Order: sequence, then structure tokens, then C-alpha cells
Amino acid sequence: MRYGMLLLISLLLGGASASAESFRYALEPVEITPDVWVIEGVTEDFSRENGGNIVNTAFILTDEGVVVFDTGPSRRYGEQMREAIASITDLPVTHVFLSHHHPDHVFGNQAFDPATLHALDGTIARLQAQGDDFAENLYRALGDWMRGTEVVLPTQRVTPGRMTIGGRDIELIAMSGHSGADLVLLDHSAGVLLAADMVFYQRAPTTPHTPGLDVWQDELRELAALDFRYLVPGHGPVVEGRAPFVQMQDYLAWLDETLREAASQGLTASEVMRLTIPERFDEVAVARHELIRSVTHLYGRYERDVLSPLAEGG
Amino acid sequence: MRPRPIRCMAWFGWLALVLCCLLVSTVSTAAVPDDPFRSPMWHYNLSRYLGEDATVQHSDQVVLKVPHFAEDATQVPLTVDLSGFDSTVKQVITWVDLNPVPHLFTFRPEATEVRAIALNFRIQQASTVRAAVQDEQGVWHIGSVHVDAAGGGCTAPSATAGNPDWAASLGQMRGALFSPASGAASTRLKLQVMHPMDTGMVSNIPRFNIEDVELRDAANEERLATMSLSESASENPLFVFDLEHEGREAGLTLWMRDNGGNVFESHLGV
Repeated sequence: MRYGMLLLISLLLGGASASAESFRYALEPVEITPDVWVIEGVTEDFSRENGGNIVNTAFILTDEGVVVFDTGPSRRYGEQMREAIASITDLPVTHVFLSHHHPDHVFGNQAFDPATLHALDGTIARLQAQGDDFAENLYRALGDWMRGTEVVLPTQRVTPGRMTIGGRDIELIAMSGHSGADLVLLDHSAGVLLAADMVFYQRAPTTPHTPGLDVWQDELRELAALDFRYLVPGHGPVVEGRAPFVQMQDYLAWLDETLREAASQGLTASEVMRLTIPERFDEVAVARHELIRSVTHLYGRYERDVLSPLAEGG
Repeated sequence: MRPRPIRCMAWFGWLALVLCCLLVSTVSTAAVPDDPFRSPMWHYNLSRYLGEDATVQHSDQVVLKVPHFAEDATQVPLTVDLSGFDSTVKQVITWVDLNPVPHLFTFRPEATEVRAIALNFRIQQASTVRAAVQDEQGVWHIGSVHVDAAGGGCTAPSATAGNPDWAASLGQMRGALFSPASGAASTRLKLQVMHPMDTGMVSNIPRFNIEDVELRDAANEERLATMSLSESASENPLFVFDLEHEGREAGLTLWMRDNGGNVFESHLGV
């Protein structure tokens, strides 16, 4: 009976479940519109249960080959993503676009030919500077899921703009709000926006390298104005329409206002970490965890703004 | 017959010894309660920072506000909230159990009462964090909390060390006074000083940190409180104090001295 329940639960969880024993992510690409495939991760933080499969990756089939968007959190993920792609098409991978330098998006790079790895200048520089530290942290958080994973730097520098790749009309857009260098891919042929971590949905956004919440909010307005039908966030479910933009703007505005108000009242950082999160964000996963992180990343800037330089001497 | 009394005496000797041991251990367990966090440094750090004969008890009136994980091991926020402490505070000593130098700060109020103290600390590995608050009877009340961490906070070079112009801002202070949300008569002082607070645990960077802090009434230079800091304190330390005292119309003088002999002094008006 107990095993029956377990079986039922694992069937219900379906593609989201990961088998810790064999280190299989059970990646199941979904074709959201013809030739555009998305592999959706869970809306959690890194853990040994999910193996780091907390991220959405994607690939697009063109006339000449496969365009991959992000490679996942580990070497194992990258290799299993290649297996998943190979089960769908015999076409070679011609381009791998890396949205930004965060580990959950680029640590599957080893599974791909380095000559196909494309990223913004700023992403390559940031990955070079911080990649090894990210790896160390993820080895600690994920254990054996990370076995053999090493940082591989992209060799191709992306020039943003509109281009034709394998017969598809593709636009690469450079932004900065989430990590300082964020690449967004708009497939005009399919009407799909691969927004990566510029957009989180039903999962609290992460802020360790944002140049500022105001920058992020401005760029989100630019993204929302683009012409597309399907939106693929970096974390959270794929949607038709613009609901994630509403939630993102709401959350970022709340975070900005909360930090500003707290600083003006003189709250300490650890007090801000305990503030009440509005009920409307109950559906946003890991909100408390990310509030604690965001206060660490950002609150000092808000605090300094309300402290005055003091005159020397008694 | 002869050996018998000797054996008896030996037997009584053992009994006395065992009883003594039992008594001593009973006394010491009564004085020092068990650590619910089972830190290997519990007893060692208690006697190191509070003395061998300290009377110690756990207290939920000493509230430590610390995140349960360290997002940045060089800057972990700590607020010691004493708003529910129902006795006069003689001193507050904080430490991070498993840091190479566990001590963070010792705070002694003089002509003021303290309701809260906040300061960021470094963490070298996941550890229990303690605040010991001594009341008027000399009893120590301990608040504890555990923080998970990837670590390395004590052996990471300061951001200041990578900045060639660091000396230009050394000792500069920013600050402001607030009315704490907890209300009442207290004033919240928030103060940040630019200082690398080098721990001496990074190769080729000797220890260089602020060791002594004094808060004085600017009107008559009367000392309100003193604070000493150790290597667990973070770079560019940001202090928060909730204080209650009379007559602060002239504002406060903030005085600090580092181990290089530099003295920093600023005035914070009301």
C-alpha cells in the first residue's frame, strides 16, 4: 500500500521529480508551439532533492540545427539535456545562447561544443570572475549532482540585434536588470519570448547582482511592450500573455518600497528580514528565503541614503 | 587481620572521592545548563568570555534576530533585542562559537540603558551565535541562534583591500537618529564607519580593526557606553543602538580607536 502511494505520488509529480539515486533529472521537453521546446524546472531553491533543476531551459529547432537557450545547473543536466534533444531531432546543435552568468543557467556548458557557446561580453567577464565561487557553493548545496562540473567560458560574443538563424527570425536583446548582463531571445517566427531571469513567475526573483530594482523595473516595461504570444520565464511556468510582468512589477515595487520605508524608520537588516510579506505573494514560491537574500544584497544602499555624513571632532 | 583496616580505609577513600566528584559535577551542571544547540564550544566559550564561576542561564528575554542562513559570510546581520529584558543590563557580550576568534563585541552601558544593539558579523562556518547579558545580580542570561553558512567570512579579503583609495575614506562616519518602532522613550542611533576591519587571517594583510568605541554626551563628554570589538566584526561596521537616557540636547560624541592607534571622532546632533 505504501509503495502504491509512493508510485502514485511519483506519477503525479511526473517530469518534475528527480531520482537522487541515479542522478537523473527526468527532463521532459514540452513543445509549447511548433519547434520551440521548453524544459521546466521546479520553483524551489537549490537542494539535493531537485539536483538544481530549478530553472527553465529551452531549445528551438531551425532548418539547419538546434538553437539552445541556457544549459542548466550541472554537467549532468547538460548531458541529459542533450539526450532529450537527441530523442527529438537528429539535427546538430549550432548555437547555444547563455542568458546570464548565474550557475543554474550555464553549468551544463560542458555538454556542448565550446565553439557554439554564445553570451554577452558582460556575461563572459562575470562568469570568469565568479564562476569558481559559484561552483564551490553548488557542490556544497547539491553534492554528487555536481560531479565533474566545471566552468566553461563562452567563446562567441553576442552582438545584440535581429538576425536570421536557420531560417528563423530571431532577435537578441541585451539587458541588465537581473544580473548586470542579461540576454533575452525573441523568436519572431514563433512569437516566443525567452526572457530568462529578467522574468520570474510564481517564484520570488533573486537579486544578488542587480544594478538596482529601478533599472530592472524600467527594462521590464520595455520587455512587456514587445510583440510576442508565449512568455518563457527563467523560473516558473510558461504562460500565454503578460501576467508574469504584472506580478514582477508588483513584487519589485513592493520590495523597493519596503526597503526604502524600513531604512527611513531606521530598521536593522535582521528586522527587515522578518517583516510581513503581503498575502498576495503567498502564491510566489520561496518569498521569505529571497527576502532574506535581497535584504543582504540591497538594504545597505537604502540605509546609506538616509544616513548623513557626520562632522569630524566632538 | 591487619590488612583489613587498610582495605577499609582505601574503600572509604574511594567512596569519598566518588562522592566528591558527584557533588562537583552536580554543582557545575546546576550552574551551566546544557546547550540545546550542542555546540562543542559551549563550555569553553562560556568560561573564556564570562569567567570560570559565572552563573549562567538560558533566557528568552535575550532575543537574537539573525537570518537562519548567511547569504554573505562577511556580513551577517545580528540584532540583540533586549526590549523584553526585565532587569538592568550591566553588559552584553556576543560571540560566534566556531569562528577562529569567536568574540564579536562587549557592550557596557554606563549613563544610559540599552534596549537593542545591532552589528554585522563574519562567519567562518555554520555556527551557533550567542549573546550573554549580565543583570544587576551578576547573572548571565544567554540567547542563542544557529546560522547555516558556506563560510569563509573571516578569511575573505576586505573589499577595502582591493580599493587603492581606501585611506581617503578611512574613519568617515555616517549616522542618524530614529524613533524605534518599539516606541517608548528610547532613541535609535544608527552609525556606519568606513574601516576595513581586517582580521589578520588573510595572507599579507595584517590585522587592522577598530577595537574600542565610546558613546558620550556631547554636552559634558560624560561617557554613556563603551564597546569593544574583535575580529568577528564585519567591514565598514554599521552599529545600531536603542538607548534611553536623559538630556541629550547637545547630541552625541562618537569616539573610536583602531589597533593602529587611529582615533576617529564625530558628532551626531539631535
